[in-house]
Amino acid sequence: MGALSWLTEPYHSAFMRHAAMVAVLVGVLAPTVGVWVVLRRLAYLGDAMSHGTLAGVAGAYLIGASITVGALAAGVTMGLLVAVLERQRRVSEDSAIGVVETLMFASGVILVSRNDSIGVDLTHFLFGQIVTATRHDLAVNGLLTLVALLLVGVAFRDLRMTTFDPAHAAQVGIPVGAIGTVLIVLISITVVVSLSTVGLLMSVAMLITPAAAARLVTHQVPTMTVVAVGIGVASALGGLTLSYHFSTPPGPTIAVVTVGWFALAAGWSAIDNRRSGKPRDETVGRAMAASEG
Amino acid sequence: MTAPDVVLRVDDLTVAYGRHRALEHVSFSVRRGELAAVIGPNGAGKSTMFRALSGIVKYSGNVELCGVHCHHRRDRLVCAYIPQRSDIDLDFPITVDQLVLSGRRRFLRLGQRPGPAHRGAARDALARVGLADLGARPLAQLSGGQAQRAFLARALAQEADLILLDEALSGVDQPGVDGMLDLFSQLCANGATMLVATHDLALARRRFTRCIAINRQVIADGAPAEALDDRALEATFGSGSYRSAVA
Repeated sequence: MGALSWLTEPYHSAFMRHAAMVAVLVGVLAPTVGVWVVLRRLAYLGDAMSHGTLAGVAGAYLIGASITVGALAAGVTMGLLVAVLERQRRVSEDSAIGVVETLMFASGVILVSRNDSIGVDLTHFLFGQIVTATRHDLAVNGLLTLVALLLVGVAFRDLRMTTFDPAHAAQVGIPVGAIGTVLIVLISITVVVSLSTVGLLMSVAMLITPAAAARLVTHQVPTMTVVAVGIGVASALGGLTLSYHFSTPPGPTIAVVTVGWFALAAGWSAIDNRRSGKPRDETVGRAMAASEG
Repeated sequence: MTAPDVVLRVDDLTVAYGRHRALEHVSFSVRRGELAAVIGPNGAGKSTMFRALSGIVKYSGNVELCGVHCHHRRDRLVCAYIPQRSDIDLDFPITVDQLVLSGRRRFLRLGQRPGPAHRGAARDALARVGLADLGARPLAQLSGGQAQRAFLARALAQEADLILLDEALSGVDQPGVDGMLDLFSQLCANGATMLVATHDLALARRRFTRCIAINRQVIADGAPAEALDDRALEATFGSGSYRSAVA
């Protein structure tokens, strides 16, 4: 079998082409949002939101509501609860996230345990089931992705300013709190769109890893976003192709491929730093210089 | 009533963190074109005062900028605060051009792209601080002094009437410090107004015409010869310890 036919063979069947389209949507959206999650050091929030969404998914199942709406509501609720807890001076951000994640994830597990019939289907959402994605899933995910990308496009400069220097951003009139809420909504949408591909538990892989890899090899946010999306799409399609040929679960395979890209970027960055004589970690280098000064 | 050339008037400013009062009953005013040093030991409240003037922390008392009482965020659009280097991620993926252009945001609506006039204003600001050729460079690749100049250019692009610089000269080598102070003097001669927090007393004596010594409250305020005399320094820094600060 030639390399080209090895790559194209999985997509002879309609359901795999369908799956590829869903995967590409996640590969575009999650890294685009992930760039801001990485730059704001909110990886833990992203991870916690993916877990906490279980409460929304399970709750929606039990009352027969839309899973998408349930997951979105859970994500936004979680973000708002974290913001409320953070107002307590002695509650740090990671503690607030930990407390709310515990509440939401535990509530989700309790809701699942209340109804045996939802146990099987929920595993699809926990670990992803991309090959059973329906036309409806594709349409909903496509619409959500479009909305999220538009939001990022409109708020791009303000996202950059509030991430880099929130005090200055507030001074020049940017609604810093509102931009933070927009980011929470974007993370929630990303988790929802990731449900059917990599699943809730590994959605953080697509949210964080491509953006973290891109951060290692770029110096501007627009370039970082383009590289992250490139890695996201390549991981989605690469993981799907590998899972077809090696009969592995698609979600985890895609997640592992993103980590492979991260390893490549880390290697590239290390070689580049050695060539230019920069410290292994610029931030550590600067902190050391400041403390010596 | 505020005199027309008073850029900043502070009346009875008090900031409390829980039960701890970081600043108490601070009052002073600054006229347009003044370059004043804010002197005090670590923990004296220099940064807290700047953060209160910028509206970042809550306070009681009155702050007036260019004759306008600051009740809302929009009242502070004419104030630029440049925080300590340790408070900023200098490794953030942003170019000098993008950083300086962000100062123009006060003139733009949500989602509006800065047009040629704004880009021109940002280029002018960069030229004024001597970084005209470094616009395309990532912030992470600038030296400490160059980074401070870039932040100053952002304040100029913002068309700020008052610029607050928190420990702007820390970590900058001596030629860099002299160059920065020449620049501050030149900008103030052209209408800018600056407060510069520093704990370098020798520098304050040498290069500033006004010093405001604070330690939770204003201890002394005036020309270096009077605001930094032995009595004021002892009250500001504590008995004996100011001598090591001067050295």
